[in-house]
Amino acid sequence: MLGTMKRAAAGFVASILLVGGIASAETKLQGGGATFPNPIYQRWVTEYQKAHPEVKIDYQSIGSGGGIKGITDKTFDFAGSDAPMNKKEMETAKDPIVHIPTVAGSVVLAYNLPDVQGEIKLTGPIVADIYMGKITKWNDAKITAINGGTNLPNLDIIPVYRSDGSGTTFVFTNYLTTQSEEYTGSVGAGKQVKFPVGQGGKGNEGVTAGVQGAKGAIGYIELNYATANKIPFALLQNKDGEFVKASPQTVAAAGEGALKNMKDSLAVNLWNQPGKNTYPISAFTYIIVYKDLGYLKDASKAKALVEFLTWATSDGQRIAEEMDYAPLSDGVQKKVKEAIAGLTLDGKPATVAVK
Amino acid sequence: MQTIDQTRPRMRYWSSILREKTWRPTADTWLFIVVHSAAVLLLVMLASLVIVLLPAARLSFQTFGWSFLVDSDWRPNEIDRPKRGPDGKVLMEDGQVVMETLPPQFGALPVIFGTAASSVLALVFAVPLSVGTALFLVRIAPSLKLAGPISFLIEFLAAIPSIAYGIWGLFVLAPFLQNVIEPLAQRTLGNVPGLSWLFTESARISGATVIRSLPLSGRDMFCGGLVLAVMILPIITAVARDVLRAVPREQIEGTLALGATWWQSCKEMLRFGRAGLFGAVMLGLARAAGETMAVAMVIGNNNRISLSPFSPAQTMSSLLANEFAEASGPMHLSALVEVALILLVMSLAFNIVARYFVVGRQVPAGGG
Repeated sequence: MLGTMKRAAAGFVASILLVGGIASAETKLQGGGATFPNPIYQRWVTEYQKAHPEVKIDYQSIGSGGGIKGITDKTFDFAGSDAPMNKKEMETAKDPIVHIPTVAGSVVLAYNLPDVQGEIKLTGPIVADIYMGKITKWNDAKITAINGGTNLPNLDIIPVYRSDGSGTTFVFTNYLTTQSEEYTGSVGAGKQVKFPVGQGGKGNEGVTAGVQGAKGAIGYIELNYATANKIPFALLQNKDGEFVKASPQTVAAAGEGALKNMKDSLAVNLWNQPGKNTYPISAFTYIIVYKDLGYLKDASKAKALVEFLTWATSDGQRIAEEMDYAPLSDGVQKKVKEAIAGLTLDGKPATVAVK
Repeated sequence: MQTIDQTRPRMRYWSSILREKTWRPTADTWLFIVVHSAAVLLLVMLASLVIVLLPAARLSFQTFGWSFLVDSDWRPNEIDRPKRGPDGKVLMEDGQVVMETLPPQFGALPVIFGTAASSVLALVFAVPLSVGTALFLVRIAPSLKLAGPISFLIEFLAAIPSIAYGIWGLFVLAPFLQNVIEPLAQRTLGNVPGLSWLFTESARISGATVIRSLPLSGRDMFCGGLVLAVMILPIITAVARDVLRAVPREQIEGTLALGATWWQSCKEMLRFGRAGLFGAVMLGLARAAGETMAVAMVIGNNNRISLSPFSPAQTMSSLLANEFAEASGPMHLSALVEVALILLVMSLAFNIVARYFVVGRQVPAGGG
């Protein structure tokens, strides 16, 4: 009896030592921010940790704004954000920061027209007019003109928007400013804007509920959300004049189209890019880190972060496509590789310093 | 009679704690300490709330001052647009369009209006129903042996979480309103001269104010008011029932002895309890003004003032629920905190008024 207890006690002590030993060798990375890429980030973390059990990565899905706050005060080792940091935010962060595109997403216009068969086509200026309250009926001449063959009802259009600040609104409104000068001067772009008409829903789910709940409603939501909920969404005319349906391929095409703008920073706009097969309302989502990884105060953390980012933006892209995110095109992947190679650790190139 | 009983333990315990050299606390002493600290903690929490909110709202208050309360523009984004001269033409300089940036603008009037209007609308629906139910519970239900079951059902309504009302409002009530009630109202009331404003909205579209027909969505002030009415029904009914029960029997028997009809005696009952009933209504109002999630789901979340109950609106609490987590910058955040402060002050005022009428002036139960 006593022997058993002794052995049990010994085992207990040993297991404590063992756990303690692992804990001290473990490298923990803390990240957080944008909710849009959360599903793919969680998946990446799981897959990466399978191959690297000594690394523990935690990503908190708290919203882009929270992510930027976290990286600015360095409570996060990396931040996720749909909108790149603006000038003011970069000044607050002081040290130079780097935006690393991870996947791209797109915003689609979902609608509720139960009696309409087939897909509806829209153009940027029409969408701007709808959200400005200038087009109020589904059978408006401007809409019927490009939807020959589709019988559109004499129904009020109820525009639905995001009532909370979001990267989705940021991308959508920035796209609209490229489509209508009048829109730019009266509504403008931002994470949250003041639309003169319509109603708000909180989150993608709020907008979706608003669209599904009211006949004649139209709302902008993320592509993944629309496909997951099987909500019909409109084809949109792109810069080349083609009507394109949003899909991982047409969004990736937008990334390739924006390649030439990637010079000093990879934070480039993807909306309204040229290309026959390009969906016009697309955007990268980014992981934001400081250029010098010295802020991690730990070479093994820097190594883990560099390796994780490298893996996610190359081999990890295959998983992204499975999950309906638009993967980075080959050209963009090359640029990202260069950007990661440009990261430093206490002045020395990080990729070299950590090896 | 109460005062003596309550002061005695206080004297004894304070003196025992302070004077005894070797302090041997009894169970009573511990209870005394726990109870007092709990009460103090509550006050500290309220004070700390104000202490935290005040500095956070400073930026907004310094920028907008008192006009925050009367300004109706709530725009968290900057607008870059071509600058126009006094003649309305776009200004040009060296062949380039001169741009101007409008900073974000915050005014709380739309949400103050939204809160007031949705709460009043809720009272319009809930008060007749609640007072009627209370009267039924006091005068009729006991003889039918229904007082227990009905009271239970009404109290059960109060126990349903707010989010459940929101989901019901969003998926059941709003589509019903959009497909049945609102078109019916438009076909009937819409043709009544002087009521056309119910179905139009004025929107500022590219700089000009336009009057246009209102798209009926079912997610609007009307829906918000209805959901709120259901939510405040239990509290108004419960308090009104207690108030009416407290009306002295003699008062009612007196009216009957003087030949009053049943209805006249009920009227006398309501008249006698009017202060308490008013307090019950104020408690309902306070609840309606602070209600958040259910309202945010059904009111349409549009920061505009529109007189029509069929247009989407926003209340102070739904604004906070919608925008706080992802505010667009320090000014936006500060403006939201200021809205929270206004809401706090308003709720406090409602509750004080309600307490004054219900507790301060209530006739002692069973008295007379």
